[in-house]
Amino acid sequence: MGDTIGITGLGIICAIGNNTGEVLGSLLAKRSGIGPMKYLPSLHTEIPVGEIKLSTEEMKAMLGVDEPLASRTALMGAIAVREALSNAGIRDISGKRVALVSGTTVGVMDVTEEQFEKLGGADPGIPHGNECGKSTLDTARYAGIGGVPCCTISTACSSALNTIMVGADMLLRDEADIVIAGGTEGLSKFHLNGFNTLMILDRERCRPFDDTRAGLNLGEGAAYVVLEKNVSGALAYVNGYSNHCDAFHQTATSPDGDGAFLAMTGALRQAGLRPEDIQYINAHGTGTPDNDASEGNAFHRVFGDRLPEMSSTKSYTGHTTSASGSIEAVICVLAMRNGFTPASLGWSHPIPGGVIPTPGHTGVHLENVMCNAFGFGGNDSSMIFGQHPHPLESGNTYGIREVARTRVDTDEALSGLLEFYTPMEARRMCKLMKASLLSAFRAMREAGIPCPDAIISATPKGMLETSNLFLADIVANKEQLLKPTLFMMCTHNTISSAIAIRTKCHGYNCTYSQGEDSTFWAMRDARRLIASGEASSVLVCSFDENCREDGRTADFYAESVILLRDE
Amino acid sequence: MEELINTLKLQIIDALNLEGMTPDEIGNDDPLFGEGLGLDSIDALELIVILDKNYGIKLASPAEGKTVFKSVATIADYVSKHRTK
Repeated sequence: MGDTIGITGLGIICAIGNNTGEVLGSLLAKRSGIGPMKYLPSLHTEIPVGEIKLSTEEMKAMLGVDEPLASRTALMGAIAVREALSNAGIRDISGKRVALVSGTTVGVMDVTEEQFEKLGGADPGIPHGNECGKSTLDTARYAGIGGVPCCTISTACSSALNTIMVGADMLLRDEADIVIAGGTEGLSKFHLNGFNTLMILDRERCRPFDDTRAGLNLGEGAAYVVLEKNVSGALAYVNGYSNHCDAFHQTATSPDGDGAFLAMTGALRQAGLRPEDIQYINAHGTGTPDNDASEGNAFHRVFGDRLPEMSSTKSYTGHTTSASGSIEAVICVLAMRNGFTPASLGWSHPIPGGVIPTPGHTGVHLENVMCNAFGFGGNDSSMIFGQHPHPLESGNTYGIREVARTRVDTDEALSGLLEFYTPMEARRMCKLMKASLLSAFRAMREAGIPCPDAIISATPKGMLETSNLFLADIVANKEQLLKPTLFMMCTHNTISSAIAIRTKCHGYNCTYSQGEDSTFWAMRDARRLIASGEASSVLVCSFDENCREDGRTADFYAESVILLRDE
Repeated sequence: MEELINTLKLQIIDALNLEGMTPDEIGNDDPLFGEGLGLDSIDALELIVILDKNYGIKLASPAEGKTVFKSVATIADYVSKHRTK
């Protein structure tokens, strides 16, 4: 029983190529795309990056887009979506239910920050352009499929891998005939400076899993896969996936890689495979001291001393953040189709007792491949692709009931947070974070659920106040000596991971950002988790700020709901 | 040295959002991380910014700051020896 999910088309654009053919060529030639900054207008020219080798104007010309404020993120997304559809042989989508599920975090930030600087940071409403959902709508429009249902996932650097999970599930539940899933992220001064405040950007080319590694190189790019149900002769099949939360820290990974371990073992379980059935792992492997040590420990826990060939292709593309999950998924499928393992570039010194990446081999058969993507807040996901299909279940066994709903939308109410957090713990939180956590913990108390099985958040604009302050910091201090405290609270998944860290919830954790539809997608996911038996309790937290103009009555609001399995 | 210690405490209270705290509440030799004041890795990054911005001291990594950031007294000692402004 069950249906199978096939990948029938691939599209990619990143530092090592503008399409699948060019990317494949660079991987086989072991050619990195990381180098000096050319297109990003940042003062930090000393920082190497993995840029797409096209200007914004060149991308507009390729797509026939004539909009002055078109974002790089949406343009590169459209180029990859277009290639994926053409690769799948889909020329006409009329009469078919097509959906685009896309991952991004900075959204159209490249345009936002340019406008912000022009206006001297005077208008607090400017970061509205940071709406992730808008960038996905633009991606669809530029790709010529405007009007299809769009869903944006924003779990930081695991976003794009999570879109493939959600897309697969939409097919299993017969909510679509074709899903285009992946992610896109253009470089911005915003996140380059943000990562710089965390002191995790290497000034040399990154060296994942090397003992001398000194951080990551940021990259940009987009990749999408076309997913279809019960097809034969697909390029590869999505045979298992799992999303867990490290529940450790907003920007650091747990030493033993708890979230990574749970994600990898969960994916293996769903695929019905043992660790020794995997022939290649595309690691998250950012090149930061923290990530690679922790992911390496998780590999030891899952694979013992029999680690399959493993590499980090971020040594070619740079860390493309929210797009990295689908960029690496496409690389995995290219490796399977062409019988090679991508080399890990820049590696020469083993970490004492650590894992050793592969120098790359050709002429190999890869039956099952694992792809990891981990994000800020400990949003860890792992996926398994196979040459042969493995049926997946989409159970609809259990009933659902709502047991608590709490709302916080006034300044006066915020002092209530001190019932749950000490002043020391709350000292860095912005207003929206306080409101969201307060509504969440009150809902959990009302429901008598101290730790839910899963946490989902929904937000149209994300962390507007802190993003605004960080943009102002960039302008005022000319990209020098900025505040890490602001950046660590800027990702849309800040709230869902803060709740997980506090409750030690290692279960499913996801964040949706699709304008007014954000809560719809979050509730859909929550109901699915309970109906299938994957979770018996789910917390959904919706929040937004600067929303008076949207016809709401408050400057900010946070509303939390607890759903339980109806026994 | 007393003046530098007091200035540092005010800078720490401001940069680390220690709202409502006064310099007197932070003992010169109190541990800043772990069992003491309870600062974390993000605070360590903020301390690096304080040293760079106000005293022209550049630390390459949080690891380098580990011994410097033991207490306000150890920071003051380091600043007085290495400041360039």
